[in-house]
Amino acid sequence: MACTHNQRLYDPKQVNTSPEFRVLGPNDTPSSKDANIAAFYNEKREINLVEKPKPKPGPGQVLLHIRATGICGSDIHFWRHGRIGNMIVTDECGSGHESAGEVVELGEGVTEWKVGDRVAIEVGIPCFQPSCEQCRTGKYNGCPHVVFLSAPPYHGTLTRWHVHPAQWLHRIPDNMSYEEGALCEPLTVALSGLEASGLRLGEPALVCGAGPIGLAALLSARAAGAAPIVITDLFQNRLDTAKALVPNVRTVLVDPALSPEDQAMKIKEAVGLKVKVALECTGFEGSISTAAYCIKFGGTLMVIGVGKSPQTYPFMHLSLNEITLKFINRYVDQYPKAIRLISEGVIDIKPLITHRFKLEDAMAAFQVAADPKQGAIKVQIQDLD
Amino acid sequence: MVTQNPDIYDPRKILQHSEFKVLSAGEKTDSDANIAAFYNPAHEIHLVQKPKPKPGPGQVLLHVRATGICGSDVHFWRHGGIGTMIVTDECGSGHESAGEVVELGEGVTEWKVGDRVAMEVGIPCSQPSCTPCRTGKYNGCPDVVFFSTPPYHGTLTRWHVHPEQWLHRLPDNLSFEEGALCEPLAVALAGIDRSGLRLGDPLLICGAGPIGLVSLLAARAAGAEPIVITDLFQSRLDFAKKLVPGVHTVLVERELSPEQQAAKIKAVAGGELKLSLECTGVESSISTAIFSVQFGGRVFVIGVGKSEQKFPFMHLSANEIDLKFQYRYADQYPKAIRLVAAGLINLKPLVTHRFALEEAVSAFHVAADPAQGAIKVQIQD
Repeated sequence: MACTHNQRLYDPKQVNTSPEFRVLGPNDTPSSKDANIAAFYNEKREINLVEKPKPKPGPGQVLLHIRATGICGSDIHFWRHGRIGNMIVTDECGSGHESAGEVVELGEGVTEWKVGDRVAIEVGIPCFQPSCEQCRTGKYNGCPHVVFLSAPPYHGTLTRWHVHPAQWLHRIPDNMSYEEGALCEPLTVALSGLEASGLRLGEPALVCGAGPIGLAALLSARAAGAAPIVITDLFQNRLDTAKALVPNVRTVLVDPALSPEDQAMKIKEAVGLKVKVALECTGFEGSISTAAYCIKFGGTLMVIGVGKSPQTYPFMHLSLNEITLKFINRYVDQYPKAIRLISEGVIDIKPLITHRFKLEDAMAAFQVAADPKQGAIKVQIQDLD
Repeated sequence: MVTQNPDIYDPRKILQHSEFKVLSAGEKTDSDANIAAFYNPAHEIHLVQKPKPKPGPGQVLLHVRATGICGSDVHFWRHGGIGTMIVTDECGSGHESAGEVVELGEGVTEWKVGDRVAMEVGIPCSQPSCTPCRTGKYNGCPDVVFFSTPPYHGTLTRWHVHPEQWLHRLPDNLSFEEGALCEPLAVALAGIDRSGLRLGDPLLICGAGPIGLVSLLAARAAGAEPIVITDLFQSRLDFAKKLVPGVHTVLVERELSPEQQAAKIKAVAGGELKLSLECTGVESSISTAIFSVQFGGRVFVIGVGKSEQKFPFMHLSANEIDLKFQYRYADQYPKAIRLVAAGLINLKPLVTHRFALEEAVSAFHVAADPAQGAIKVQIQD
């Protein structure tokens, strides 16, 4: 069937059952400094460096040298908890989906790229068949047959050599680093939420959560001219980072002992009014309920995060205030926008990177990313030689 | 913010008036006595007699000719509250009314005696400093006086004074019955207005009570297709099919999960729906609606319900489903009247029971008893 073509093309078993595939133990070293190493998690909740074959690009594909990959909370969650929603880890699975790299080899029929081109990598590969309603109607993020690299079972891009469809790459200009190219992915998530929320110039906004997505949402909301903006988080150091990024943002430290209504009172005190839009970047029930109490009549609660299911919300409050609850799933057509915003200096997202590791040290990178005491915002693996 | 409406319509002026009295069952009154149906915190419903009011500046005195009983009237009577609106004293019921102008207050030039009107009972402050009023969302006015929401007395009475600017002229071809039905129609139209419903959209309506049924009529008038309607009771689905023969009906089975119920709905519809007008406010029905709509679809909740409700978060998130809510209505009455007057929406079949004002208590009992199979019970004078 045409719609499952990608599922065959990116079938992880091709890698997992290859004789060249091996899990590297703590005392193993890669076979060469060009070896195709990667960070894989598995159903036993382990994370390991692995070595896999260097792939060859097929028709319509290119081979990339991955230069930078950010670690996402979902990578850590798949490693340590084995699932998100219906996506379940059943075998060795490659992590990473926030990547940028360099074209090193072209597959047959590829004319829009040349060797040396620098690209941001869009890892959600929809079927793009005319009979697919989502793909046909401009909502390819909703394609039921999507292959999203790093969502089990499909291997991600936290590796050295990676083959990718030529049409799901985005050129990054010379004034953008690979680091920034890799940061495009979390930025596209924030931009998706911003677009769906309808937040506009001059409107007050609440951002819930000052992790990487919350901070990207803060930068996006500021770039869109929202004013004033208030941001919340459980951790003061994250709020301090927010203030360093956007000096006049109001910050509110969340007190987990407070009810959502009481937490909302503190937020309203900090910003002086109810907001038009809340960009909810935690996915936590309590935070979402808190946001509901901060929003004015007719406003929007934009849930960007994923979280537990089901969740309980203050229904009558939402009803009496005609608050719209919206949700996004990944992103559609946001990469070109993200690249423009970074390249033109409208959004400076570099400060989100707090830790950099070489690809060989990916295991240490994951330990840092997973440990709140390390205070990491965005940990990136970089293979720049 | 100083607003006069809470003062003008202060319910205590009536409750403390020497002519106010609660009538005992069967107590006789004159044919022009200002009787009304009141409920109280003890969950009693009874007729009362109140003074006949005089219209002040900018007001008119109406002879209320028809009033529908709403589920909220029944709920306030039997449960004493909805959300933060609590019954703390005797309170007059009724907000779905139409009547006749009988006396003009000072300065009223818009109306003359004998004019026939539908009554919009949500009276916002209409002050420039009020953000909802200023921005065209007067239904969100925090200082609104909504007749029949405690503590403000409603319009289920004989003589009622109303601000003249919140009345809507009824054309000659609309009966008082139809005028009174404009209120539930306004609720449905407000929902449809913000729901984004368009010609040809596949639609699910949850609930075939009065709001579900007026939503069905309005959605058919708007060209939704196919329309699926659900309810717990086959009799209500049969009624829906009489109103709109092309509608597809699905009986809700309590033992099915929302996903299973949604599978049945989608099978009947021949696919996923784009939009659901959820008219029950019941948690499981809202979840069912969520599981019934397509990626990027929308569930629009018109009903009120339990204060805290569970939602299938990951399904909402993975499918980018919008959840919107409607609170009463703004600027819908003129539209409602136009649609009914032009024959695009026929509300007449909805009135299943009619009672004289003196029989209002019986009317409430019929309305409150599912075995009676009432759709809309109206009091007519």
